[in-house]
Amino acid sequence: MGIEFTRSDFEKFRQFFYRKTGIFFPDSKKDFVEKRIIKRIEETGHSSFRAYFNFIRFDRSSDEIQNLINLLTINETYFFREKYQFECLVENVLNEIYEYKEPDEVIRIWSIPCSSGEEPYSIAIYLLEYWPLIDEVDVEIIASDIDTNVLDKAKKGIYNYRSVKNLPKHLLRKYFKKLSNDRYEIIDDLKEAIDFRQLNLFDPRQNKEYRYIDVIFCRNMLIYFDDESRLKAAQIFYDAMNPGGFIFLGHSESMSRICSLFKVRKFKQGIVYQKPF
Amino acid sequence: MKKVLIVDDAVTVRKYERQMVENLGIETDEAINGLEALEKLMQQKYDLLLVDINMPKMTGYELLEEMRKIPELKHIPVVMISTEAEKKDKINAYKVGANFYVVKPIRPETIKCLINLLVI
Amino acid sequence: MALKKASKQKVVETPKEKRKRPRDFEGLVTQLNEGDRTQRRWAARDLAQYGEKAIDPLCDRLEKEKDTSVQDAILSSLMEIKRPPIGERLIPLLKSDDAALRNKVIEALQSMPDLVADHVNELLKDQDPDTRIFAINIIQWVKHPDVPKWLIEVIRNDDHINVVGTALDAISDIATEDMEEDLVAVKKKFNDPYIDFTVDSILANMKE
Repeated sequence: MGIEFTRSDFEKFRQFFYRKTGIFFPDSKKDFVEKRIIKRIEETGHSSFRAYFNFIRFDRSSDEIQNLINLLTINETYFFREKYQFECLVENVLNEIYEYKEPDEVIRIWSIPCSSGEEPYSIAIYLLEYWPLIDEVDVEIIASDIDTNVLDKAKKGIYNYRSVKNLPKHLLRKYFKKLSNDRYEIIDDLKEAIDFRQLNLFDPRQNKEYRYIDVIFCRNMLIYFDDESRLKAAQIFYDAMNPGGFIFLGHSESMSRICSLFKVRKFKQGIVYQKPF
Repeated sequence: MKKVLIVDDAVTVRKYERQMVENLGIETDEAINGLEALEKLMQQKYDLLLVDINMPKMTGYELLEEMRKIPELKHIPVVMISTEAEKKDKINAYKVGANFYVVKPIRPETIKCLINLLVI
Repeated sequence: MALKKASKQKVVETPKEKRKRPRDFEGLVTQLNEGDRTQRRWAARDLAQYGEKAIDPLCDRLEKEKDTSVQDAILSSLMEIKRPPIGERLIPLLKSDDAALRNKVIEALQSMPDLVADHVNELLKDQDPDTRIFAINIIQWVKHPDVPKWLIEVIRNDDHINVVGTALDAISDIATEDMEEDLVAVKKKFNDPYIDFTVDSILANMKE
């Protein structure tokens, strides 16, 4: 006897999910959602959608909502993922920052969570290749993650073909050494340029070390947090940033579910949030 | 094609207002709070906003204040729709630049009137 | 190349800053009230570690604070502390004229189910219909098993159309068959297009 997932179940669920995350599943995604919800209904030992829905609505732990978000959103990391944001960085955001900074002030970019390093290395490559002012100013890239295993991977900088396949060939040749087994290793200069650090964002002793940040890339992390933690993280980022600093969220994420501390800035490539001056 | 943005944190209110507007042959879109509305306003064109006052993250008042600072958005007509019937709330709404202030629950005839006046 | 590796010293607070920022409770309370905006924010954040002791100073400041970024930091700390005295202090703020503050208080209370349970009856019987509406806004998203029961009580007993409308919206995704009678009765009571629309869609979803 299969578990049912009716049209009205789908409607209830998608409104709930939309309110939580800002992601709205169109009708065409009903099957996609159905498969995954039924899986979770069974795995959590519920006998119906209604019982499961009541569980996620009223369960104080929020773990299940996080599990669902994980299942329903696509989350892989690779070089130049959502590269329109790197374009925005070098065509707009950094130029604005450059304008208001003092001549020898360093520009600080923070990638969190950096996972196995694809994002901070992508930022570095983009700066070197596409930002004309890179030679005029010092830029620091700090990359942090709570997971020391992925940080080790990031420091080693060895990737398989899937990770690098979106890179233009000439950049792959320039910034990577090809190893056997179709793997690629980031060149030492780049490895040395990035400061990889372990961080539990909510540990006050650790998070206070992050100050005077000009740009934050926090893509596809906040979506997995509960409401309280998201607000807390936004506070931590706000205080870590210089006034006028920018923060990039993941493509389906928005501050509208988190807080209105940041100013909304619209560029050709999309929306970025800015700490007011 | 004309489009109306409906901004309210209550899902049934959004559904209800959307249906009334769509019955008049006008496209609609929705946002659950002022901040989401502001983001949508930056990415698409709307001809009218129906905005609730009490919403999380960014209230209707705050949304209007932001809109009136942005050249591309400052002339879009906004109807404030609220449960508050006190005179001071009406004054506040007009102070921040609302074109009209209507007390909930909103009736189909009122929506029709507003659309005729502000959109068509 | 101008990519420079950050050294730990650069991003840590300078010794001068460290001395300027108070570490003790009294110092933080002073900074919460007398500092500039950034200092008030840091004080609000740092006070969270003091737990229940910090509730009164944080709430005292919240009542006068005009800067939204400081309000956010205070509320975030209260949400971390999460102890019963917070209810006594925050609930009166539901009557504030500041809509943004009210909505932040609603959100903070949504994260404190037991606290809300203690006050729910008094809130739902408040003279002011707007206060009853804000109470429903809190209840709707609070994680407490009695939520459906509280909402159906409002639907049965409240006479104000917007209060009942808010309760209907709140119950729309958790309605059960045993509520059918009450829902039909409410349509008759008000005879209003929004109430009809909402009840009809709840009933339709129930049947599926």
